[in-house]
Amino acid sequence: RYCCSPATITVLHAFVFVSCQTAFVVDEVSTIIKESVEGAIGGNAYQHSRVNQWTTNVVEQSLSQLSKLGKPFKYIVTCVIMQKNGAGLQTASSCFWDNTTDGSCTVRWENKSMYCIVSVFGLAI
Amino acid sequence: MYLKRPTAVQPLQLLTWDTCYFHYLVPTPMSPSSQSVSTTSDAGSQESVDGGTVGRTLQWDTDPSALQLQADSELGRRMHRLGASKIVQIDFVPKELVTYTKETQTPSAAHQSEEEEEDEESSELKASPQTDQPEEEGEAEDSKEAHPRELTEEEREQILHSEDFLVFFERSVSVVERALAEEGDIFFDYSGRDLEDKEGDMQGGSNLSFNRVFHDDHWSKHRVVTCLDWSPQYPELMVASYNSNEDAPHEPDGIALVWNMKFKKTTPEYTFHCQSSVMSVGQIVLWDNRSHRRTPVQRTPLSAAAHTHPVYCVNVVGTQNANNLITVSTDGKMCSWSLDMLSQPQESMELVYNKSKPVAVTGMAFPAGDVNNYVVGSEEGMVYSASRHGSKAGIAEMFEGHQGPVTGISCHNAVGTVDFSHLFITSSFDWTVKLWSIKHNKPLYSFEDNADYVYDVSWSPVHPALFASVDGMGRLDLWNLNNDTEVPTASVTIEGACALNRVRWASGGREVAVGDSEGRVWIYDVGELAVPHPEDWSHFARTLVEIRANRGDGEEEGAVELPA
Repeated sequence: RYCCSPATITVLHAFVFVSCQTAFVVDEVSTIIKESVEGAIGGNAYQHSRVNQWTTNVVEQSLSQLSKLGKPFKYIVTCVIMQKNGAGLQTASSCFWDNTTDGSCTVRWENKSMYCIVSVFGLAI
Repeated sequence: MYLKRPTAVQPLQLLTWDTCYFHYLVPTPMSPSSQSVSTTSDAGSQESVDGGTVGRTLQWDTDPSALQLQADSELGRRMHRLGASKIVQIDFVPKELVTYTKETQTPSAAHQSEEEEEDEESSELKASPQTDQPEEEGEAEDSKEAHPRELTEEEREQILHSEDFLVFFERSVSVVERALAEEGDIFFDYSGRDLEDKEGDMQGGSNLSFNRVFHDDHWSKHRVVTCLDWSPQYPELMVASYNSNEDAPHEPDGIALVWNMKFKKTTPEYTFHCQSSVMSVGQIVLWDNRSHRRTPVQRTPLSAAAHTHPVYCVNVVGTQNANNLITVSTDGKMCSWSLDMLSQPQESMELVYNKSKPVAVTGMAFPAGDVNNYVVGSEEGMVYSASRHGSKAGIAEMFEGHQGPVTGISCHNAVGTVDFSHLFITSSFDWTVKLWSIKHNKPLYSFEDNADYVYDVSWSPVHPALFASVDGMGRLDLWNLNNDTEVPTASVTIEGACALNRVRWASGGREVAVGDSEGRVWIYDVGELAVPHPEDWSHFARTLVEIRANRGDGEEEGAVELPA
C-alpha cells in the first residue's frame, strides 16, 4: 500500500543499512569493553602502584577498538577501579540525548580484590 | 584482536560522515509544504500505530523533494528528538563489620520535647502494643505547638523501627510501668513535708516474712531456676538464670532475667537469651546490659581448651578493676577467663585428686578476700580445697563427710572483729548441711533438721552466725548458730513451691532470694534476725569452740588437723 517509486525503495534500503550501521550496538560495545578489561587487569590483584596504569590501559584499549568500528559516533569511556575493602559504592548516571541513535553501555567486572566499572557513551554524530 | 566483525554491510561509501545523509538526494526542505509534512512525519517516525493515516503520515512521498528523513540537519528539529535516557546505576553493598566496644556513650537527646510528649501519651499503655503507636505519635504531633509537619506514614514507620526509638521506648515503658505498678501516688510531693509517714513501713518483729515473688508467665514458666545472684552495684537488682523450657522447644534454651527489687513491677527489667541451657554444655556467655541486645555479647568457644562438660559454677573473683572469671565444670576442669577475651581461657587446670581421679565439681566457693584458694564440692560427696597458683596448684585436701553429691557450698564472708573465713558450709543430697573449717578434714558440725535433699546453702553477708538453706520440700531455713545449732531459728515453707533450688542473700543481708523448680523467684525479708550485733562475732567464736568440743567427745578419731 505504500506508494513508493523505485527511487524511494532504494532510499529505503539505504536508510535501513544506515540505521544498522550507525546505531549504537550495545552487545558489540560490551564485548569490546570486556576484552579490554580482561586484557589489562585480568588475573591481577589490586595494587595501588599499578592501578593508574590499568585504568589508562582499559580506557585506551576500549577507545581504540571502538574507533576501529568505524561508526559515526563520539565516544566517552570512563573506567573506575575500586579496591574491595568492605566499603560500599553507589553511582548513577543519565543522559539527555537522542534515544534512537545514541546509547551507552556499562560493564561491571570484579575479582577477589577489586571491582572495575567501565562505561561507554556513544553519541551519534 | 578477535573482535566479531559484523558480517553485515560494508559501510556505503556514498554515505559519509556528513550530518545529513541524504543531503544530495533531497533538497533541504524549507518550503512550507514540507513543514507540514515534517510534523506528520515526525509522528509517523515514532512507529505510530494509527494505520488509518498511513497515506498522510508516510514519509516516503512520491515527491522526493518532500522526503523528510530522520537524519536532518535542522538543529531545531534535532533538539525535539532529544530525550532523557534511563538511569544507569552501580551499587556495591558495604561489608558489615561486627564490632563490640566496651565503652558506652550516652546518646545526646535529639528531640527532647517530642520525647516528653510521647512519654505522657504512652502512660495510657499497659504493655506495649505496636498498634497503638501510630495513633500515639499522631496525637503527640498534634499536641505540639505551631504547625508541626505531619509525618507521612513512611516516615512514621521508619521512626518506629529505628533503633534509637526502640531503645528509648523500651526504657520509657519501664519507667512508666514502674510508676503504674507502684501503689503510691505518682504525683507524690517530694518536697519532704510528709516524711513522717514513711516510718511506718518497717516490718518489725517478724523474722522471716514474705516480700514478693518474681515470676514471669512468658519467660519463667516451666523453667527451673538454676542460679541467682544479686548485683553488687545496684543492690536492688537481681539476676536469675533459668533452664530450658520443656514445653516450648523453640524458645531459647537458656535465659537470664534481671529483676528489680525496688519497684513492684511484675515483669523483669531485662531479659537475656542464650542458645544452650544456661549452665550446661560448657559454654560461658557474657551479656552486656548496656548494649540493649538480648543475645550474648561474647561467648566462649566449645573447644577442648575450654570446658566440654556442663559448667556448674561461675565466680567472679578479684576487685572491680582486676578481676577474673573462674569457671568449673563437671569434668574437673577449672578455667580462669579474662572478661575482655573470652575466646580462650587465661589459664586452665584439671582438678585431679591424688593424681588420678578428676573431680566432678558441683559447687565452688572462694573465701572472702581470697583469689587463690577455694573449695569445691563434688558429685561423690567429697569436698576439696584447691588453689589456683602456687606450689600446690590444684587439689590440696579432701574433706570427707557427705554421703551424697554436694549441691551447694558457701564460704563465710561476713567481715567482723573475728576472722571466720576458714569456715564453709555445704549442703548435700544426704539431707544434711555440714559446717567445716579448712583446717579440719572432717566436718565441724552437721545440721540434720531436713527431711529432703538440701539443694543450696548460703552464708549471710553481714551476720557471722547466720545462714540460709533450702530443700526439696519447699522449705527455707534460717540458722542462727548463736541461737541454736539443733534447729533452724526461722523456717518457712513456701506454699505452692515444689523444690527450692537456689538461695542467695542480698548484699545488704536483709533479703533472701530463693529460686524454685517452677521458675519462680521468691524474695523474703529477714527481720531483726538478720541484723548483726557487734557481740555476735565473739559469741560465734564461743559457739565454735563449743561445737568443736562437742565434736571431739567420741567422734571419729580420724580427724586430722590440717596445716592452714
